[in-house]
Amino acid sequence: MGNNGKRTRSGLPAGLCVAAAFLVVAACSGRYAGMPRAELLAYQTQHTYGSLHTLAAELSRSIQSAVKADTLHPGMYADYGVALALMGQKEAACRMLNAEVAAFPESRAMVQRIKQRLMPDLLGDTLRPSNPKADLDRVETLAYDSLTALRPLPYVAPVIDSTDTLWLQMQTPVDSVQLPIRLTATQKRELLEQAQAQEAQRKQAVQDSIAAAKRAKVKAREQAKSDRAKAKKEQEKARKAAKKEKEKQRKQDKKR
Amino acid sequence: MRRYRTYIGILLLVLAAASCKSEKRLSYYNDLYREQPATIYIAPLADMSMRRVVRTTEDSLFNQSLNTAAQQLYLTAADPLVYRGYYVPGPLASAQIAATEHRSGKQLRNEDISDYHSLLGIDAVLFITLKEWRQTANSWSVEVEYALRSTETGHEMLHVDAHATKTLPFDFKASPLPLPEDRAFSDRYGCDLETAQRCRLVEILNRYVLKDLPSGRRARATATEQYEPAHPEYFTLKINADGTVQISKTDQ
Repeated sequence: MGNNGKRTRSGLPAGLCVAAAFLVVAACSGRYAGMPRAELLAYQTQHTYGSLHTLAAELSRSIQSAVKADTLHPGMYADYGVALALMGQKEAACRMLNAEVAAFPESRAMVQRIKQRLMPDLLGDTLRPSNPKADLDRVETLAYDSLTALRPLPYVAPVIDSTDTLWLQMQTPVDSVQLPIRLTATQKRELLEQAQAQEAQRKQAVQDSIAAAKRAKVKAREQAKSDRAKAKKEQEKARKAAKKEKEKQRKQDKKR
Repeated sequence: MRRYRTYIGILLLVLAAASCKSEKRLSYYNDLYREQPATIYIAPLADMSMRRVVRTTEDSLFNQSLNTAAQQLYLTAADPLVYRGYYVPGPLASAQIAATEHRSGKQLRNEDISDYHSLLGIDAVLFITLKEWRQTANSWSVEVEYALRSTETGHEMLHVDAHATKTLPFDFKASPLPLPEDRAFSDRYGCDLETAQRCRLVEILNRYVLKDLPSGRRARATATEQYEPAHPEYFTLKINADGTVQISKTDQ
């Protein structure tokens, strides 16, 4: 016992009592790391792929800090899993849903229903994540990986706004969306050059097609002209032949 | 003999006091204590409030503000329940569960929902109905109904009708002066101040209605039993200009 450890009536040191009281209060207050409210609200009101992506990235950060502080909010893993599944990262999503069951066993039936809806092929995969810590190290990159899994549309029209953000048209598993991407100066220059080259190429292609159309029109006109002349000639020939025949007929009649 | 009478009297008094205590608990939270739900699913919000016919940009912004506040009402309902020790699925997972549901909100509210218990392991469903929004130059009001239904027995374990109002003082330009918390909310969520007022109002209302329920399974070990109701069944919550909350109406 320390020199200053005054004993209470029950014989316990005062410091220990204070610590015990603090632990009880902490347990009662039930601290949980909050869900990313702003991003959730943005996704719930907009329902765009961009807001889903931002939400997933924010959820991954919240999970990481919550796991470190041991204050995991129920449903956090499941929500992140659903977000990943909606972005096409089904295996990672399955791992997150399994982690939810491991952390909160009461969610088992619900998670099975969600899997059945979003990833029926992975329904049987109910193993716990083999190494949750390693998985969580990957969590941060998973949301960003999903971006690279997306396919740009055949014609990309980059729109760069005043805040140097590129709005890129991408093909998601469901539809095409515009995603905001923050650019560096070099990237911006390269993209603008690329866009200019593409624009020039497109203009050239349009001009070529106009010229080809013009040529085809002229050719068709000439063809029509020659056809008309040919037809006229034949008509003339036929008329002459008819006239000749008529003359011949008249001469024979006179002889008779 | 007199001593025996005294003892018997004291014993009767103690018993009477104990029975009063349990009666209170039984009348207010009987179902919650008996069924001890562990998992609460929040059903999609039933929004019955009126929207404007869009003729101008202002109408569109007004409708957008109401939509955002309605979403905020739905999203912030989970937190107080989680803090009380219940398992509440998050909004994305709940949306997936709701997508598999073929019944309408009204049917879900009134019909048998025992399949939620047997198939999804959900013990109770919280129905939130946003009834009406009202607004004056410097005040915003909302009427919300909360109903917690057991999936096992179908009983309503909790029913609260709340009317919340937020009033702000006027500044020298005769426009409402927002609280610092409203400004912080507006900056954080990137919305206008009017939307921030509505969102903060429903958030405070949710916290007030759901924070003092009897503890769920996760917090039950450390929680004390609740003998008094957390709030009346019908009440008006007022947020004053200084940010304090005032309950001005008791049970009907």
